[in-house]
Amino acid sequence: MTLQVAPPDVRTPEESRAITERQSGWLVIAEQESRDLWTSGRGLILLFLFSILLSAVTYLTSTNQALNFLEQRESVNLVLQLAVAVGVLVTLVVSADGISGERERGTLESLLVTPVPRRSIIAGKLIAALTMWFATFVVTIPYVWVLARGVGILGQALALGFCVGTLVAVGLACVGLLISGVCNSNKTSIAASLFLMLILFAPTQLPSGLPQGWFFDVLRRANPVDSGLAYISSILVNGHSWTQDLSYLITPLLTAIIAGGALILAGPRLVRLTPGVNAG
Amino acid sequence: MRALIMILLLAGVLIELPAPALADPLTVEVVADPPVVSTVLGDHFEVSTEVKNTGTKPTGEILAHLNVASIEGSVYVDPEDWSSERSQQLSLKPGESRELSWEIQAVNSGQFAAYVVVVPFGGSVNGNEQLSISPLVKVDVAQRTTLTAGGALPVVLMVPLLTGVAAGTALFRVRRRRGAGT
Amino acid sequence: MTSTTVEAVRLTKHYGGRSAVQDVSFTASQGEIVGLLGPNGAGKTTTIRLLTTVLVPTSGEFSIAGHPSTSASEIRRCIGVLPESSGYPAHQTGGEYLRFFARLYGLSRSKANSLAAELLATVGLEQRAESSVSTYSRGMRQRLGIARALINDPVVVFLDEPTLGLDPAGQAQVLDLIRTIAKTRAATVVLSTHLLPEVEDVCSKVVILNHGRVAGAGSVGEVISTALIEQSAELRVPIDLVERARTVLAGFPNLAIDQLSEQPDVLVLAVDGAGTSGGSGDVMNAALAAITAAGIPVLRFELEGARLSDAFFKMTSEAVA
Repeated sequence: MTLQVAPPDVRTPEESRAITERQSGWLVIAEQESRDLWTSGRGLILLFLFSILLSAVTYLTSTNQALNFLEQRESVNLVLQLAVAVGVLVTLVVSADGISGERERGTLESLLVTPVPRRSIIAGKLIAALTMWFATFVVTIPYVWVLARGVGILGQALALGFCVGTLVAVGLACVGLLISGVCNSNKTSIAASLFLMLILFAPTQLPSGLPQGWFFDVLRRANPVDSGLAYISSILVNGHSWTQDLSYLITPLLTAIIAGGALILAGPRLVRLTPGVNAG
Repeated sequence: MRALIMILLLAGVLIELPAPALADPLTVEVVADPPVVSTVLGDHFEVSTEVKNTGTKPTGEILAHLNVASIEGSVYVDPEDWSSERSQQLSLKPGESRELSWEIQAVNSGQFAAYVVVVPFGGSVNGNEQLSISPLVKVDVAQRTTLTAGGALPVVLMVPLLTGVAAGTALFRVRRRRGAGT
Repeated sequence: MTSTTVEAVRLTKHYGGRSAVQDVSFTASQGEIVGLLGPNGAGKTTTIRLLTTVLVPTSGEFSIAGHPSTSASEIRRCIGVLPESSGYPAHQTGGEYLRFFARLYGLSRSKANSLAAELLATVGLEQRAESSVSTYSRGMRQRLGIARALINDPVVVFLDEPTLGLDPAGQAQVLDLIRTIAKTRAATVVLSTHLLPEVEDVCSKVVILNHGRVAGAGSVGEVISTALIEQSAELRVPIDLVERARTVLAGFPNLAIDQLSEQPDVLVLAVDGAGTSGGSGDVMNAALAAITAAGIPVLRFELEGARLSDAFFKMTSEAVA
């Protein structure tokens, strides 16, 4: 079989450049990565499993005749905490695959020779990873509606969950991409990210009867996930106002700023064929 | 004789010793409004109190503190659950009054008494001070069923069903694409 | 007049104490097909990665289509690349893959759709446009990769081992496509490959790398001449005509004639004082013509030392020695 090449339409470099500037590379990458994540079924399977978990929690809560008003408020808090925990976890894992996964699959070099700036590649992957968080939150909405409408905290719970969860998810997605850029294999990248999640979640599982000294408080506040969840609890369970415990949001905010800043600064040096940030 | 003189001297000393003085009463008057609140479990309501300095001297720093108690005796009440901001600090000049409002959520059903007590605040407190308390606000909270299994069932079933169908459809399409190539 | 589209000047790339590429210089013009040859580890892929801005040179300069090495984004706009062992997203179809890259190069959705369809037809994958890439054979993936390399209508196309792992038919298809790309699109093609016979057929210029350095460069003929390989030939004639063939060949004073002991019907011819391969070739041609003119059937005539592979082995082994 002889393959024929048709004469192409000729486009000047200036026209090419103008067209490229009109259509942002980060948007194209975000769209494609998101499509790959969702149409392949990977993201949907995770959502399905998460919805089963939430359904179990909601059903057990709703069938508990002895549940009083306060405990119902705590169950809303529990559902939001699950949403933030799971949403942030899957976002971190997806972002940890962002650069190291492309390297291993051999698809990174093709991306590097396109005129899309390295920072745009990172931005696109970050947005695609964050779709996991947003989808997790959307799945959580009906459960929060069922549990929170009777205790008058529906709007507050949804707004709180969305704002705090997004802040934590952005920070950890940036961390995941940083890990992905410096790790020499995808396995290492994902393992490091999961280990990070373990470290972040471990303090939340300590028995409440332990002495709650200043050290524990510092540990809690230094952990972006734990302090974010503590902020949600202080409002939903303890009835505090939004401004009363704002100090809990310092760590999630700093994580997002520092990790995001590092990505912006080191981005071009992270998106390379070889891992690390040394000049290659 | 000598004994009589000792007794008389002792009596004189005792007469001269100053009696322990009672602390100045807090010259503050507290009025609460409304006197009765009827609400439903979970609803928020507001209680206003007017704190007035009825004395001739400034009050110094004082603390108005909200409390809630069950008047049925059978319900455990944690006032922290009813209102997160239960203390408000203020100071009043002679004759000055201040209106304070308290945002409360009815988290238990039954009959309750809400009241505000004004206490002196800060280093000048010696103990034994008189307190000022508002008349109680009677709060009737009607029970309300806020969650039933039946109400939750549609969500409990539909969300996994929808996400499962979506996941299955995506996997089916992926398999079909793969099958189309073989 | 064709313009210079690739110019590399003393390109060098060090990894720590190891030199991957050292002082590599060459040029290529519009419409040329340049073969980048070398044994494994010679620095071919590193050279291509330097020229495609994937790697940063330790020293040296280059320009692509007039854009200096400092203008990486401008270079990327006018090159197409098929990397060695390029991976493809398993869940995407061939059409989706090309549409994605078309949009990365700035095309609108509708133009990306039409261009993807056109390129898939060009490389013979139109029937499999909506099949998952995971179902493609290796040859199909290579063709998809070439289609992607053409998406931006590049001035220079870099193909790193495009025939790797392909069967002979697949190799022929790819080489034919490369030839047509250079001719029809007037693109410069830089082709890294191990297939020396095909390079002789397709490439107008070769650059031979060995241990990161240029061992030889120029047209195929120039490289073979530069290698100064002694040419010899094996001539097989019917056993009863061997002596007669000897008599005919004795008329060439510069021609040394030997006979293989294990194959008495094979004469080994060598040109004394070979000089340039052109001279040796003329003598061989004349000897062969004389044999056929004498009515002696030529059962086999194999020329040694006049092929690119001979020059390649000599150049790369000399550097080792």
